[in-house]
Amino acid sequence: MDETSSKQAGHWLALESSSRAARPEGSWGCRIESVGVKLPAEMLTTNDLMNRTSHRTRIQLERLTGIHERHVVGPGETSFTLATGAARDCLAHSQHQAPDIEMLISTSITRSKGRSSQSFEPPLSLYIKQAIGATHAVNFDLSNACAGMLTGVFILQDLIARGEISCGMVVSGEYISQLSWNAADQIRSLFSKQLASLTLGDAGAAVIVERTPDGTPGIDVIGFTTLAEHSRLCLAFPSTVGPGAQMYTKSRKLHRVAIEDMAPLVAEAIGDAGIDLADIDYLIPHQTSARAIRKGTEEFARRLGAKPKHTVVNLEEYGNTSSTTLFVALHKYLEEQRMHKGDRVMLLAIASGIEIGIAIFTIDSQVEHYGHTH
Amino acid sequence: MGTRIEAVSALTSHGLRKPTARHLAEAALRTCLAHAGKDPGDVDMLINAGIYREDNMGEPALAALIQEDIGANLGHPPIGGHGTFSFDLVNGTCGVINAIQIESGLLRSGVIRHGAIVTSDVGPSLKDPGTAPFQPTGGAMLLAWDDSISGFTDFYTETFPEYEDLFVSGLVWQGRRGLRAPGRPAGQSQMVIDEKPGYRARLADCTEDATRRFLGRLGIGIDEVDLLVPASSSPDFVDPVRARLGLPGDRVAYTGEDLAGAYSTGLIAALQAAIKSGRLGEARNTLMLAAGAGITVTLGLYRQTPP
Repeated sequence: MDETSSKQAGHWLALESSSRAARPEGSWGCRIESVGVKLPAEMLTTNDLMNRTSHRTRIQLERLTGIHERHVVGPGETSFTLATGAARDCLAHSQHQAPDIEMLISTSITRSKGRSSQSFEPPLSLYIKQAIGATHAVNFDLSNACAGMLTGVFILQDLIARGEISCGMVVSGEYISQLSWNAADQIRSLFSKQLASLTLGDAGAAVIVERTPDGTPGIDVIGFTTLAEHSRLCLAFPSTVGPGAQMYTKSRKLHRVAIEDMAPLVAEAIGDAGIDLADIDYLIPHQTSARAIRKGTEEFARRLGAKPKHTVVNLEEYGNTSSTTLFVALHKYLEEQRMHKGDRVMLLAIASGIEIGIAIFTIDSQVEHYGHTH
Repeated sequence: MGTRIEAVSALTSHGLRKPTARHLAEAALRTCLAHAGKDPGDVDMLINAGIYREDNMGEPALAALIQEDIGANLGHPPIGGHGTFSFDLVNGTCGVINAIQIESGLLRSGVIRHGAIVTSDVGPSLKDPGTAPFQPTGGAMLLAWDDSISGFTDFYTETFPEYEDLFVSGLVWQGRRGLRAPGRPAGQSQMVIDEKPGYRARLADCTEDATRRFLGRLGIGIDEVDLLVPASSSPDFVDPVRARLGLPGDRVAYTGEDLAGAYSTGLIAALQAAIKSGRLGEARNTLMLAAGAGITVTLGLYRQTPP
């Protein structure tokens, strides 16, 4: 219990350290081994979306958010097909085979499959593991809004660090553009609580987390907390306008609260990792709007006295792909060979709840699966 | 050293005409914390493993709303304090054991000191709450680390996807017919729960197989199981499984009549009965068992040395 108490002292976050110095004897290191993505082929521009609102809104959405277009599903595509496609892509970039996966966690907010717009039982994870051949994996679904995928990584990290498993997958498929169409039917002005729904795009993403081979870097820290005093700032319910949901967000307050309360949490995480914010090569925040990300980064710099070398914004092409944004962005940077061995990355999840999740890890041989040779 | 069950609470809607999943889970958690002599602020992690809700809210996690309602670590994150991390886990009636496995691991790692799990289910439509195949119930469990007991030592999950179509549920969009007047709903998403013939028989088959495999791996004979704490989506599930395993009826924690028909709360309701009767405290090896759609069977072994 002494170790427990000392580890917890001073942490607001539920925080896991897998760095060699911090982890208890007998525990294992952990790393993100590969990332996969499935993007629908069909594209929808912001201009086209805004031209199809039922009311004349005069909202300059692209200027406000930085979103030019987003991928949207075509016929036959669902949360399940996007998740399965991403899981297969993840395996294609991995040294693991599907049967190696000991736990599979599906974290989609939208869980559409077949005629069901939201599957409840069996969980989507059961269908996904069968589709990719991870037949022996323990599976369950997890629901934590846009922080779902990082929450799954947090859970796998603990299981791997304790040696309970050595390889797991987190996967999400988001057919969430239905919310945009439902909002487009009702939205009238910039002050609508459904404004954030117009930023959404569809995507699937998957990540394999594995036990770190000896001597290789991996996840330094990963932590989470729920600022539940603000749990009702973003709510989504089944729609009566069309299939899928409608989401009501007090966007300005949510961003203000998140930015204000996040700074001490980021300080906690980088403190535990024994680094400075300036040591972060790539900050990948949840992708909502370019303006909000820019303001948030500036506020961090002001409060923490430093800023990361690069802040990743990929909204222009993808929009907000909800629970998959962090890993769609990471995948893009790996595919484009922008990241190199030794680069330190911070993933920053912000979600309804308000959920705040932070992961800091070092890029290693993952880059080799994406065409790197150096 | 292991994870100890500090307290549990399971309750019904007490005749409320329109109970909500959030209120049931919240009420159970308050009672559970009172039993344990703990404050809401002591909860480091809150996992909601309930399934069916009156409003089918998609986000945030219901656990976050419950965290706010009980007042667990609200306000700005102060330096030196500790917060609460809340999320939902979805795996039918088996989700509770998955949640125990997650929190048990984080307790072992020292990441959390107290982990709470809540469950609740109500009819998916407030307009017609009587259509659900279960009784509205809520449950809560508080877990903590204990140096003096082994606690939860082993977990096991097995799925039988050849039976995945025997029990299926989900929201299906049903559009209104005819012309839609401006401002009127175009339709609604309705919960469809489809149980096919043969599901309950297969559930018992799969449970027996998985339980035997789990005990076989651990090298434990069925005669060494002092107490079986079962949960299932099927009310006539327990006795056939017990008989197949060759376990005497006096080694089963049956749920009280008032909580019969509990869904995701089934395991916690059975645990409550075992604690109230004193049988959990007397058992050396307690086997927790849940089975449901998938078909999924999840088991957990809880070990302690009785006084």
